[in-house]
Amino acid sequence: MSRWQRLVRKAGWALFTILFVVILNFFLFRILPGDPARQGVRDPRLTPETVEAIRVRFGLDKPVINCIQTFSPLEFGDCGVNPLEAQFFIYVANLLRGDLGMSFYYNRPVGDILGERLWNTVLLIGAGQILAIFAGALFGLGAAWKARTSIDYSALIAGLVAWSVPTFWLGIILLFWGSNNGFPIGGKETPGMSSYPFMMRMNDFLHHLFLPTVTYTIVFMGEYLLIMRSSLLDVFAEDYILTAKAKGLNTFQILKDHALKNGMLPLVTIIAINLGYTVAGVIQIESVFSWPGLGGALYEAVTRRDFPMLQGGFLLIAVSVIAANFIADLTYAYLDPRVQVE
Amino acid sequence: MTAIAEIKPTAGSSPLLAFWRVLRKNRMAAVGLGMLTVIVLLAVFAPALAPYDPYSSEGLGVADVYQPPDSAHWFGTDDAGKDIFSSFMYGARVSLTVGFFASFISIIIGGLIGLTAGFYGGRTETILMRFTDLMLVIPDLPLIVVIVALTKPSLLNIIFVIGIFGWTTTARIVRSQTLAVKSRKFVLRARGLGAGNAYIIRRHILPLVMPILVVNAVLVVSSAILNESTLSFIGLGDPAAISWGQMLNFAFSRGAMSSGAWWALATPGFGIVWVVLALTLLGQGLEQALNPRLDTHHLMPGRPVIHEEAGAKPIQTDVALEVRNLSIDYIAEGKPPARAVQNVSFTLRQGELMGLVGESGCGKTTLMLSLLRLLPAAGQIVNGSVCYKGKDMTAMSEDELSALRWKIISIVFQGAMNALNPVRTVGDQIAEAIRRHEPNFPREKMTGRVVELLDMVGISADRRGHFPHQYSGGMRQRAMIAMALACNPDVIVADEPTTALDVMIQAQILQLLDNLRKRLGLSVIFVTHDLGVVADLCDKALVMYGGVIAEYADVDTIYNASRHPYTQELLKAFPDLSKPRKKLTSIPGHPPRLDNLPKGCRFAPRCPLVFERCLTEQPALRDLGDDHIVGCHLAENPT
Repeated sequence: MSRWQRLVRKAGWALFTILFVVILNFFLFRILPGDPARQGVRDPRLTPETVEAIRVRFGLDKPVINCIQTFSPLEFGDCGVNPLEAQFFIYVANLLRGDLGMSFYYNRPVGDILGERLWNTVLLIGAGQILAIFAGALFGLGAAWKARTSIDYSALIAGLVAWSVPTFWLGIILLFWGSNNGFPIGGKETPGMSSYPFMMRMNDFLHHLFLPTVTYTIVFMGEYLLIMRSSLLDVFAEDYILTAKAKGLNTFQILKDHALKNGMLPLVTIIAINLGYTVAGVIQIESVFSWPGLGGALYEAVTRRDFPMLQGGFLLIAVSVIAANFIADLTYAYLDPRVQVE
Repeated sequence: MTAIAEIKPTAGSSPLLAFWRVLRKNRMAAVGLGMLTVIVLLAVFAPALAPYDPYSSEGLGVADVYQPPDSAHWFGTDDAGKDIFSSFMYGARVSLTVGFFASFISIIIGGLIGLTAGFYGGRTETILMRFTDLMLVIPDLPLIVVIVALTKPSLLNIIFVIGIFGWTTTARIVRSQTLAVKSRKFVLRARGLGAGNAYIIRRHILPLVMPILVVNAVLVVSSAILNESTLSFIGLGDPAAISWGQMLNFAFSRGAMSSGAWWALATPGFGIVWVVLALTLLGQGLEQALNPRLDTHHLMPGRPVIHEEAGAKPIQTDVALEVRNLSIDYIAEGKPPARAVQNVSFTLRQGELMGLVGESGCGKTTLMLSLLRLLPAAGQIVNGSVCYKGKDMTAMSEDELSALRWKIISIVFQGAMNALNPVRTVGDQIAEAIRRHEPNFPREKMTGRVVELLDMVGISADRRGHFPHQYSGGMRQRAMIAMALACNPDVIVADEPTTALDVMIQAQILQLLDNLRKRLGLSVIFVTHDLGVVADLCDKALVMYGGVIAEYADVDTIYNASRHPYTQELLKAFPDLSKPRKKLTSIPGHPPRLDNLPKGCRFAPRCPLVFERCLTEQPALRDLGDDHIVGCHLAENPT
């Protein structure tokens, strides 16, 4: 299979997955008992007319899809309605226009809120991932190279402990320490900073970014260390390492030219597969540090019962993960020449 | 590296017994199980052990809130003035319950999907695995959060939701293991005998899938516990069942941070770390036991060479390679050293082709690797010398030696697929050897040199930029030979270069090696178990058995006047065109295990001519003149 065919097939699969998530996202919120209409507007002071007005405003008076009025409770409806007027197609059409609905809490378009927040999350993940991959790969390399020595055992134990610590708890501990050591307790900037000069704002921002990034780095470094160590141990047992040694290469050359790339391959796969897990970590970190990102949005949506926000947040997170997965897949194909012929 | 495989421990037959053996041997698994037991006991006996009832707030006042640890409250009190230690023990019950039941659901779903996909294959497999991929890519925690937020956050709901989204890894692992087991001989045989699917799954597949499933289950439990604590922390826990995550949620959102009540934050988190770490250690330990590795680690420093006897001075300096009294041990922890090669001597003259013959596990590969001190970490040269032009390579430093590797002796490894790095081009790997040993080699001539080398082995120039997987098996072997020639070595060691190739290609490779030897004046050591090849090509033959020399002589002598029964038996096992009526016989039995060598002659248990002395006394090597050396009691009496 050529590189292009592969690309097209992978892209097709990614699109299919996104479609699945879009459909799932719609029906999940219609089937499960937490129907937005009842959960969002359950204030007993509202008159039936107001409730109905809100339902109309959010489009909840229309049938969910042809033949079905609502899922929960299940009520069958008219099959002859114009499908374009059913909630599902309105939802899809809105999605295509980038309209994710109105936030119950902010009374602003969910898309706008999430759009602002996406970049904060990307920044946090980006900084954390890069540090975690570097540190994890380096320590994993050291551990595997010095297998069965005290270096290896210390790295292994550190990795296992970092892997076992719940992200949010590590965040709490670091926040506890940081708040006593001059670090801000949350958010991305100190209120009232907007009028200060750029450098001071930048400094303030980096101060806010520091603890969330450290939390992220520690948690994922542990995992990457373990993977790198284990994949390198496999590589070191390979015949081509023996060939390299027989060729007279020294340990440094063997590590650099023969072990590192081969050992990184499983790491790339794991990073791709674990992007969902990354998101789990981000939700926890952002809720602990009140970091205004997507994960924090999800957390707030849960605590405020802001269902359009929850729905939009989940969709955006899922789509980002799928897209990132697709990119990781392509990277892997680029790194490993064997992939092309499979 | 068959020699090492021989001293590996054999796997246990009963799963329980195997589990026990793992715990005894693997400290990690044992520590994990110990830690887990402690917390399980705390959880089970919480009502008896807890000093207070965490579900009752009777008699608690404002003064009790966030009290630091003291003798009445070992871990202080929480935001409602309750004893944290008591809540901690009860919290263990919730976390463990969720972990156990949720992972049970995941394991059942994942196990069924994986087993069905792997066993039935075809369209069933495609659909199931596509579905698994789909679920794998959708981030599970956000999905779980959404669903729990839309339903009632009761313990049952939480268990169920975590359970039905945690099966993907299990399904993948079980599927690949099922696939591997399905094509094993005994399964095919059972099918041939007419066994039904249910029977095959129950009797043959499940027992082999189970161990992997158990390891996976341990990890699924830990991720379920982590998921539960995260859910509870973000406020989606069951209000009627206080878990560690909920304790953290209350403490975090109700002022523990500002009141400096670190105990309220540290204690529940410590519980989660403890359980998850215990499970992780147990899982890792079990996994290590299932997939033992580290048997080979080519970058571990080799053991220092020792000389049991004072080194004999090299006798001849005009030969390519002179090996004297070489002995090699394999050292495994808690076992006596196993002697893989004992007292081997031979002389390789310039331009000579020597065959190194013997069955698998006779120490051929070990001997060959020791020439350049490339033994795995367990191997140790314990005596003897390897001299190149009068210089003893066993006495050199690692740096001196690495400058000679490939420069004077290069190796054509068996099974060239794994001997070439899969992610670098063949041409690049050949050039690498030149760059290492001739740092001043002009860059612009490098491509020309690589092309020239490839040409020598019959590979066209445009193939140099290809990766090893784009080559056929025979081409890879030829590329390996080209690489071995890169630095104009004096000696090439070819380690069974033709195994796994078809007969036509074998002949081509052999012909190539022989031509190159004649053209370039190379000395070649040809490791093989094929005496026919030796007869065609070699000048000399060294027959090894159980790590010692059985017989060493020129090829004519080996074929026409061999004195060792092992050589004679080997000859009977190969067809001879000059004696077409000859009946081919194989030697019954196997070479001895290194950790269980016979007391007397190592061949005695299989020797047709065995007599009493062979069982008690190891025969000494006897020089019969004309470089004919035999290690057999029978050779003492001239025939």
